[in-house]
Amino acid sequence: MAAVELAGLHKSWGATKVVNGVSLSIASGEFISLLGPSGCGKTTTLRMIAGLEHLDEGTISIGGALVDGPGLRVPPERRMLGLVFQSYAVWPHRSVEENVAYPLTLKRTPKHELAARVKEALSWVRLEAFAQRMPSQLSGGQLQRVAIARALVAQPRVLLLDEPLSNLDAALREELRGEIATLRARLGMTMIFVTHDQHEALALADRVAVMNHGVIEQIDSPERVYQAPSTAFVASFVGSANRLEGRVEGRHFVVGDVRLLLPATLDAKSGNATLAVRAEELQLGGDGPRLTLLARLFLGSATEYRFQLGPHVLRAVGPSTAIKPGEAVPVSLRSARLFPAP
Amino acid sequence: MNRRVAALGGLLAAFFGAPLVLLLRQAGAPGLSWWALWSDADNVAALVGTVTTALGAAAFAFVLAVPLALLLGRTDVPLRAPLEAVFTLPAALPPFILGMGWVSLANPRAGLLNLLTEPGTFDIYGRAGISFVLGGAGLPLVLLPTLAALSRIDSSLEEAARMSGAGPARTLFSVTLPLALPAALSGAALCFLFAASAFGVPYLLGVPTLTTRIYSEVLMGGGLSRTVVLSLELLVLAAVVLVASRVLAQRGAVRLSSGKGLSTRRMTLGTWRWPLGGVAVLSAFIVVVLPLLAVALTSVQPVWGQLSGFSAKHWSSVLGNARTIDAAARSLLLATATAFIVTTLGLALASTKRRSLEFIAGAPYAIPGTVLALAFIIAFSRDVRFVAFERVAFVLALGNTLWLLLVAYTVKHLAFGVRNATDGLAQVDGSLTEAARLAGASPARAFFDATLPQLRAPLTAAFTITFLTCVTELTLSVLLIPTGRDVLGTLLFELQSYADPGSAAVIACAFVLLVLAVQLARGVRQEAR
Repeated sequence: MAAVELAGLHKSWGATKVVNGVSLSIASGEFISLLGPSGCGKTTTLRMIAGLEHLDEGTISIGGALVDGPGLRVPPERRMLGLVFQSYAVWPHRSVEENVAYPLTLKRTPKHELAARVKEALSWVRLEAFAQRMPSQLSGGQLQRVAIARALVAQPRVLLLDEPLSNLDAALREELRGEIATLRARLGMTMIFVTHDQHEALALADRVAVMNHGVIEQIDSPERVYQAPSTAFVASFVGSANRLEGRVEGRHFVVGDVRLLLPATLDAKSGNATLAVRAEELQLGGDGPRLTLLARLFLGSATEYRFQLGPHVLRAVGPSTAIKPGEAVPVSLRSARLFPAP
Repeated sequence: MNRRVAALGGLLAAFFGAPLVLLLRQAGAPGLSWWALWSDADNVAALVGTVTTALGAAAFAFVLAVPLALLLGRTDVPLRAPLEAVFTLPAALPPFILGMGWVSLANPRAGLLNLLTEPGTFDIYGRAGISFVLGGAGLPLVLLPTLAALSRIDSSLEEAARMSGAGPARTLFSVTLPLALPAALSGAALCFLFAASAFGVPYLLGVPTLTTRIYSEVLMGGGLSRTVVLSLELLVLAAVVLVASRVLAQRGAVRLSSGKGLSTRRMTLGTWRWPLGGVAVLSAFIVVVLPLLAVALTSVQPVWGQLSGFSAKHWSSVLGNARTIDAAARSLLLATATAFIVTTLGLALASTKRRSLEFIAGAPYAIPGTVLALAFIIAFSRDVRFVAFERVAFVLALGNTLWLLLVAYTVKHLAFGVRNATDGLAQVDGSLTEAARLAGASPARAFFDATLPQLRAPLTAAFTITFLTCVTELTLSVLLIPTGRDVLGTLLFELQSYADPGSAAVIACAFVLLVLAVQLARGVRQEAR
């Protein structure tokens, strides 16, 4: 267990700035999620912490000691970290047991202790029965569990997880997400979890760092990130909100010739602005402007309605109704967030 | 469809199966003492010669190719593309030409290297020399599959080892090499087979092997049946080694990634980048470039084995010689015809999608050329009749004609056509052909309009490689050529072995230039895509 300190990390590939000044303090035992769309620099940040990517600028300290900075680069094998890859990276020429034992073998762990610790690590991921299997005989979910056991067995200072659930199907993803939460509660180690899936990030982490274009846009508790996004990007990416460009006129938000009445709680200043409104925050009916329904999608627990609003397609979620595409329906805002125009 | 399968099967049976059966039947010829032939001192020496030189060649190729593949495939060593092109060049050259180069360089009395140092310092003759030349010529057989395997190892497997606490060297030996090893060993087995089947180089460098002994027995008219034991030994060697190679390749392949979402990162060598690049360039120079330079130099030396100025007399005498021109014309005609038949027949065989047919059509390539030639001599001599094509009995007396050479070239190289067409068809997007059918095209029309254009690259490859291989084919040609009618391969062989290394060097140079031109043209076309 160790604290991780990132200060002013920069990384470019050619002319592209992938990571553009990332600073982050992670407390010992904390679970942090790096959340963002693909290409936002979250995986590169993680790989720099691991020592697999060289940073152009900045410093990284783990457990109070500098591991990367000007004139110093501790190679990955000496950082004492665990890393779980999106592609599992389970060695196909070694059995499950041999895969998990490898980090201990490198540390010259005595035989009896090694066997006991491999067994314990396999029990954490419920794979004791599969110790002798070869990786080609395992499913994707089992392979990722082997990778987790291998990353944990040598008691790393920090566990890094690089989109560990992205290659799994939906059911397995949920199952393994639960297991990671359980493991975390049991082992209590520092974890950094990279994902593009807001549900994973919000469900697992103590704090979520939302990244875009190589910078952290907001770092907060999952609740704060969801309920009080600090930028339009965070608001639209987390909770997949509708994002409308328009202007505030008095108590109305105007897009083209449509005037939406803003909720009374919202502090609105006149001028150009971006409005972020989640699908469930829109209400069909009321005294709002009438919008034409483009399509109706039955989702099971609710129904999604799509409206044309100027250049935007507005998504609203609500109970099933008999409205047909082509009909005009009044739409009003229950709540929303305003951000200064970009 | 079934009629086509039967027709193709019949062709294979008549021109490959029957000769092989007839060859094996010689083993049962009356008055043949197996034990006497088996234990004959010369035959034993030949077997030992084949096994030792081939083992040496495979070992040399393996030891050189594995580090090279790591450098070229997994690091940022400079000049990767040109180095790979130079190291794979021998795959398109007859090993005999490299052998000629080394004779010019390291003949103990008159080799260029010995003229520059002390006479007798370098000696290419003997087993070690053969292993060295054939190992260099067979290098691509190990290098290419190893490179392919390395490119299918996901970098995250190596990074996982680093994260587990292994340094770069430990990672190389515990993850990268074990994953690439089966492919490298499988390639080394193929290199063994290649060296064991070689005829020109052992003949040139003076070590009796199974192939050269078969040649002299046939030439001296020692009775074809006397060579059967030798042929069987070669066939068994080939079969065992081929099975071993296949098993290794398959065992290795299951461990490699299928290539979906694969990421491979090159290791940065830092200060070692140029020194290691220098070592690679030096080995490419010694193994490939130096012998070819020696051939070029020999072609312009007035007297072989003496550094005494330059002269164009070999070039003018060879290029103006009616015999050379006839041989070149015959070779070009035969190679073009063979390449055309191999490509079309290969496509026909592959499009039946019958594994068994593809397998049988690919088999002759694995059979040593000397043995195959022997089978053709026996099968198509005037006293053998066999029945084929339903109730039509006929005598095929192709022996001593160029037709026999065409048949032999085609059978031997059919594998090129089948393999390329099979790979090509596997890549073909069937929905394109189906779209043509739904647009109103007949099956034949859809094939020509939608399927064939997708096969252009593999079919061109099949044609090119068959053409280049046949245009200086040596092993089959020396045994099957009609008396008094040379092809380039036999002319090269005769000039080098008996009369005139300078003139042989001219023909070799011309061929190397042809290969380089073809490679360059293909390289340019691929760049353009």
